[in-house]
Order: sequence, then structure tokens, then C-alpha cells
Amino acid sequence: MSLWLAVGALVVVALLFLLTPLWRDKSALSGRHWLTLGLLGVLPAVTVALYLYLGAPAILQEQALTQAHSAYDTDAMVKALEGKLKAKPDDAEGWYALGRAYIALQRLDDAEQALAKAAKLAPKEARMLSQYAEAIALKAGSLEGRPLEIVMQALELDYEDEKALELAGLAAYQQQKWAESLHFWRRLMKKLPKNSEFYEEIERAVKIAEGKVVEASGLGERAKLAPPEKKQAPH
Amino acid sequence: MIPELGHVALIIALQLALLQGILGLAGASRAKAVWMAMARGAVAGQLLFVVLGFLALIWSFLVNDFSVMNVADHSSRHLPIEYRFTAAWGSHEGSFLLWTTLMGGWTLAVVLFSRSLPADLVARVIGVMGLLSSCFLAFILFTSNPFMRLQPPPANGRDLNPLLQDPGMIFHPPLLYMGYVGFSVAFAFAIAALISGRLDAVWARWVRPWTLVAWSFLTLGVTVGSLWAYYELGWGGWWFWDPAENASLMPWLAGTALLHSLVVTERRGALRVWTVFLSLGAFSLSLLGTFLVRSGVLSSVHSFAQDPLRGLFILIFLAIVIGGSLVLFARRANAVKIAGDLARTTGDFKPTSRETAILAGNVLLLAALATVLLGTLYPLVLDAFDLGKVSVGAPYFNAVFVPMMVPVLLLLGIAPRLRWRESKIGAVLRVVRWHALAALVLAVAVPFAFGEFRWQAALGVGLAAWMILATLGGLIARRREAGFLSLGMIGMGFAHVGLAIGIIGIGLVSAYQSESTVSMRKGDKATLGGYEFVFQGAAEVPGPNYSAMRGTLELGRDGEAIALLLPEKRIYVASRTTLTEAAIRYGFVGDVYVALGEPLPGGAWSLQLYIKPFVSWLWAGALLMVCGGLLAALGARKQTEMKA
Repeated sequence: MSLWLAVGALVVVALLFLLTPLWRDKSALSGRHWLTLGLLGVLPAVTVALYLYLGAPAILQEQALTQAHSAYDTDAMVKALEGKLKAKPDDAEGWYALGRAYIALQRLDDAEQALAKAAKLAPKEARMLSQYAEAIALKAGSLEGRPLEIVMQALELDYEDEKALELAGLAAYQQQKWAESLHFWRRLMKKLPKNSEFYEEIERAVKIAEGKVVEASGLGERAKLAPPEKKQAPH
Repeated sequence: MIPELGHVALIIALQLALLQGILGLAGASRAKAVWMAMARGAVAGQLLFVVLGFLALIWSFLVNDFSVMNVADHSSRHLPIEYRFTAAWGSHEGSFLLWTTLMGGWTLAVVLFSRSLPADLVARVIGVMGLLSSCFLAFILFTSNPFMRLQPPPANGRDLNPLLQDPGMIFHPPLLYMGYVGFSVAFAFAIAALISGRLDAVWARWVRPWTLVAWSFLTLGVTVGSLWAYYELGWGGWWFWDPAENASLMPWLAGTALLHSLVVTERRGALRVWTVFLSLGAFSLSLLGTFLVRSGVLSSVHSFAQDPLRGLFILIFLAIVIGGSLVLFARRANAVKIAGDLARTTGDFKPTSRETAILAGNVLLLAALATVLLGTLYPLVLDAFDLGKVSVGAPYFNAVFVPMMVPVLLLLGIAPRLRWRESKIGAVLRVVRWHALAALVLAVAVPFAFGEFRWQAALGVGLAAWMILATLGGLIARRREAGFLSLGMIGMGFAHVGLAIGIIGIGLVSAYQSESTVSMRKGDKATLGGYEFVFQGAAEVPGPNYSAMRGTLELGRDGEAIALLLPEKRIYVASRTTLTEAAIRYGFVGDVYVALGEPLPGGAWSLQLYIKPFVSWLWAGALLMVCGGLLAALGARKQTEMKA
């Protein structure tokens, strides 16, 4: 609706540009009515017709729908989970899901508490521990200390846990242990579906870490870096 | 919402442009003042709505609205914000929108600065420009719409072509298009003159400032493009005779010829038909150039046919504009000539006159243009009809274009010395023979001073010395004679001396540039042209949307370190293309240019080292030419105001 109001306003502005000279001119009374009427009829009609033919007015409703939908979904899910967990507080999976939702909503305090419960209820589940570690680290702003300890526990339980591998690699990277971070991340890449966004992100991180290794060791072999360059003007 | 409103704004702009065209032309031929006033209103309205459309597109790029297909195809989340801004005209669609926006701006400028002109002439001019704009807007809306949407939108865009992620790209297209579009003013004035049959010295006086400004922009645009190619394409060339470059050279040559013939028409009322022809030609070649570069025919003539609608539209549009204007020219040129002949008092000239010299220069410029046109279009035509692939490159152009330009430059020195109408050639030759002699001596001496005689250097230095001496000598003589120098004369001096300085750069860099490809490990040393290069290794440095290997070289001369050079090789993440970012130490007497090549086994890197003597004179000279053009425009404008 607001789109069509705006379109109307634009058409009015356009008509002002055309009609002002016409109406300012006192000498040309004859013929000025049909010209005015013609413009008043044709310009809006052609604008709307062309826009309906070329444009995508429907996209606004779709966008509004998807936006409302996704916002509604997260909120509703959190509410439902909270209610469910009040009734049944020993559900580790439930706390885990709620904690992840809290992280998505940036409610880090709640996330830490929820995931602490999950980790306590299922201390042998690597993914619960590593997710808990991430929540603590996000809140504290650092992986050092307790989060890293928990990550290592998680890795001992399951050496394939994705979140734990990611965090372990990151921690090593932050401590400038390039080779170690490469070890974790390369392992992680093997587990991830290729072409996924997460995969590409890790791949990028691996490349940077590889560069650091080269830098740290003077000048290593980086033979695969550069395919033959293009020499053409891209006009 | 914003992209949709931008779309609507373009639809309204199309209608306003059509009304501007119809009301302007019909109002002028039926002498209806109201219609002409409405056409002027439509000019302002059209500009407003095109600008709104352009702003909507820029906004979509700035906020990463990937539901707009154009944004998804030419930008990404990691693209730095300044390149998100310029990506708005980096695509085919966006560049045409830029063109149309500039066209609207020029049209409004014509309305604002032409209050003293007859109303019907202005109405015809803006009418023609309105029809041109409406063709462009229709082309944008129906075949190259920047506001196509994607639903659902992708999570990230495909990123901008890395070659375009450069400050040079921010300025090159707008400057170039300012020049191209500026020639549409001369075109529209020429059409108006053909329709009305009125073409005289006054007409030329009106057209000249516009053409000078357009020519200055075009010169600057070509210069920035050449500079950009020099530092961005990674091997230090500054002109490749690439079809995309030729596309901008052709309108420049035609525009240069037009500037000079306009002077003759303004001062002497002569060459009127020729001037009209050049006005039509300069803009037609601008159109041809834009479409050559933008339609995709250059990368492959067959890509033209893959989007039949776009290709057909372009062909029909070119046929109407070029063919239509030529038909009009053929039918009406005689009327212009006769009308002018009745009105004029002067106009005939002898073989030994400034008119003849300018005309001869003009003809040579057009002949040179024809060789470029042939070399550019011939391979495309052959390929289009599947008659085989030929590659026409630098050898052809150097062999054909350069000899054609040498007499132009010789004439350039002598023409300002000749008098209008008739000149005693002997007297003039007696004056300039000393300039010629000095130029000859320099042509021989300078190359030997470099230690080795090369014909490119001798030719460049000799021509340039002749041009500078003869131009300055002419200006001094005129100052002595008339007691003052007009802005137009000063502008001419700037432009001609600037061209000469550019030619010195071209001659010396072609003759004496040296290069070497070396493989270097950390600590290795190489020497070239008296410089020492010490390689200090290469390391990875992350960028916003790329990661780069950066080499570090210490540049030294006579054992003293003078600069640190940091050439890079970048890999752009989203498009996975590599790009060489050369390190250049600019200097008055030459540039040192280093490009990082490939990594080699054993930790070594291949590096390209170049010494480019006097290459920056090329761009400095071009800048002087631009200053000259603008000064002359200012002078011409002043004159118009005084006479009006």
C-alpha cells in the first residue's frame, strides 16, 4: 500500500514539472485543458502499467512475510522451549537447543546458564560441552582458561566434534600456534560439506594460517598460490 | 521498497524524456511557446527522476540488498564501502544509468546557460537530447534493467570484478561518459541547425564552449583510463590498442577535429557543412564506442547474439541515430550551405591560409580515425560472419596511425602562425625555419645524450621541440602584435604544449624503457638501469575481501637505499581471481615499476622489473591539454556572453 502511495507522490511531482509552465502561461488558454487532462490521465496510467509489467511489486509483500515469519519463529520457539523446560527441567537436548537459540538472539547470559545445565545433564556429550564452552567464551570475550579446558574435554570425548575442532583451532590461532590451529581446522574441513558457507569460512582461515606458517618459517613453498594471471582490460 | 521506487522513477523519467523530445521539437516547429516551456520543465523533471533512480541503485549497493540482482552480481558483503558505491556503475546496467544521468545533467546545463539563445533553437536542442535520453532509458528499462529482483535473495553477492576495485575505476567511467555525453550537445545543435537551416558563425560560437568542455572531460577520462591500465594491469603498458581503448580514441579524434573546424566556422563562417558533419560524427562515434565496450561484442561477437533483444535494440538505435542524422545531413546540408552563403560576408580562403592548414589537419585526423575504425571493426565483422579470426594489434596501428599523425603535428606548429584567408607563406617559413632547425638539432642530440640513438626518441623529441617552439614563438609574436593574449589563445598554447610534452614521454619511454624478469630469493640482489633491487622476501597480508602475498624490495641507487617497493599478488575470495598490484616509484625522469610474479620452487619468486623513463610526462602532458581545453572553453563562453 505504502508503495503505491509513494508512486502516486512521484507521479504528482512529475506532473508538477510539466504543468507548472502550462498553467503559468496566461496567453495559451485554448488547448491547455486537453493537454492538462491528457497528461493527468496518461502519465499515471503509463507509469502504473509499465511498472506492473516490468517491476516486482509482489516482492515487498513476500519480503515482509518472510521477515515477520522468521522473527516470529525464533521468538515463538524460545517461548515454547522455556515453557517445556519449566515442566521438564532434566531435558539436556532441550537446554542445548534453548542455549543455541539464546546465542542467536545474543542473550549470552541466558545462553551460558542454559548450556551449563545441558552440560551438567549430559557430561559425556561432546557437542553439549563444546557449545557450553562457546557460550562462556562469547560472554567473556576470550577462549583462554575455562572455555579451552572444556573444549579439550569435549575433544577427548569425541575427536570429531565440529564445534570443538573449530574452537580449538581458533584458540591455537590466537596463541599464534599456527601449525596446531591448522591441524584442528584441516580436520574440521574434512567433516564439513564442501561449498557450504561454514566450509568456505574455515578454508579461508586455513589459508591465512598457512600464510602465517610460511611467514614464521622465513619463506616456505607456496607453489599453488597463483594461477597464470589475466592480462586484459576489463572495460 | 527503495529499489522499487527507483524502478518507478526510471519509468517516469522515460516518459518525461519522451515528452521533452516531442514537445521540444513540435513546439519549435509550430512556434508554441507553452510546449517549449513544458519541454524545459521536463528537462528538470527528467534529471530529478533519473538521479532518484541512480540514487536508489547506489543505496541498494550500499546496504547490500542482494534481492536486487544487479547488486548480487556485482558486489558482496566483504566489498569495502567505497567500492560498493562505485560498483553501482561497474555493471552494464549501471553504466548506462550513469550515462543517462550525465545526459540529463548536460541537458539541464544547456537550458540554464542558453537563456540568451532563440527559444526555438534551444527547444530543438533539448528535444533532440530528450529523444536520445528516452532511447537510453527505454534500453535500460526493457533490456538492461538494474532493478531486477531475486526472491529469495542470495546470502552473499558474487563480488565486483577485482580489476574494477581501484580508485582509477571510480573516476574513469564518469569522466569518459561526461565527454561522450557532452558531444551530444554539439550533435543536438547540429540537428537543430539542419532542421531550421540556420547555421552561421553565431551558431558555432554557441556550440564551441560545450564541445570544449566535453573534449576536456573526454581527454581526462582517456588519460585516467590509460594511467589505470598502467598501474593496474601489471605490466606497465599505457596504451594497448585494445578495442576498448580505440572505442574512446575515435570520438576523441573526431572531437579534436570538431574543435578546430568550429574555430574556422566561428571566425570565418567557413567549413560549415564540414563542422556539422563532425558534430554528428563525434557523437555517433561516442555511441558506437559505448556500445562496443558495453554490449559484450568485444569479448565475443557471439555474446552479442546471445541476448538478441539487447543486440537488436543497440543495432536499431545506432542505425536510427547515425543513419537518421546522415540522411538528414544529406537532405539538408545544402540548405544550410545556401542559407549561410546568403548571410555571410566572408568565408572563402586561399590555399596558404590558416583555414587550409586546419582543414588539412582535420582531414588527416579523420584519416587516422578511419584507420583506427577499420582496425577495430574489421576483426569483429569477420568474426561475426564466421569468416575467420584475425587479430589486429599494435603493429598495424603503429605502422598506420603514427605516420598519419606526424604531419598533423607538423601542421600544428605552423597553423597558428598563418593568417586567416591568405598568408604569405614565404614570410611564415622564414620565421619558423629557426624553430625547425632547433628541433632537428634536439632530435639528434637528445637520443645521443641517452647514450644510444633510437628513432622513436628522435621522432618524439624532434616533433615535440618543433611543436613547443613554434607554439610559444607564435604566442609571443601575437602578444607583441595585439598587446594581449585571449584565453582561447592561452588555452591553445596549453593544449599544444601539453600534447608535445606527452609526445616526449611516448618517444622516450618507447625508446629507452628496460625490463628484466628475475627469480629472487630472500636477500638476493638485482640491478637494472642503474638501480639496485634487494628482495627482502614475501609474506601474506590479509585484505578486506582478498588475501595478498606482498613482496618487499629495497630500491637503491649508488649504494644508497631510496625507497621500499611493495608489489602484491592478490587473490580475491569471492571471485577467486588473482590480480597483480604493481609497486611503482613515480619520478620526474622516469618510473621504477615492479610486479610480483609467480612463486618458484625453493622459496624464490619471479619478479618483473621495469625502468620507464619519462613515462609520467605522458599524463602530465594530457593534464595540460585538459587545462587548455577548459581555459579555451572559459574564453569562448566569455565571448558568447559579450556578444549576446
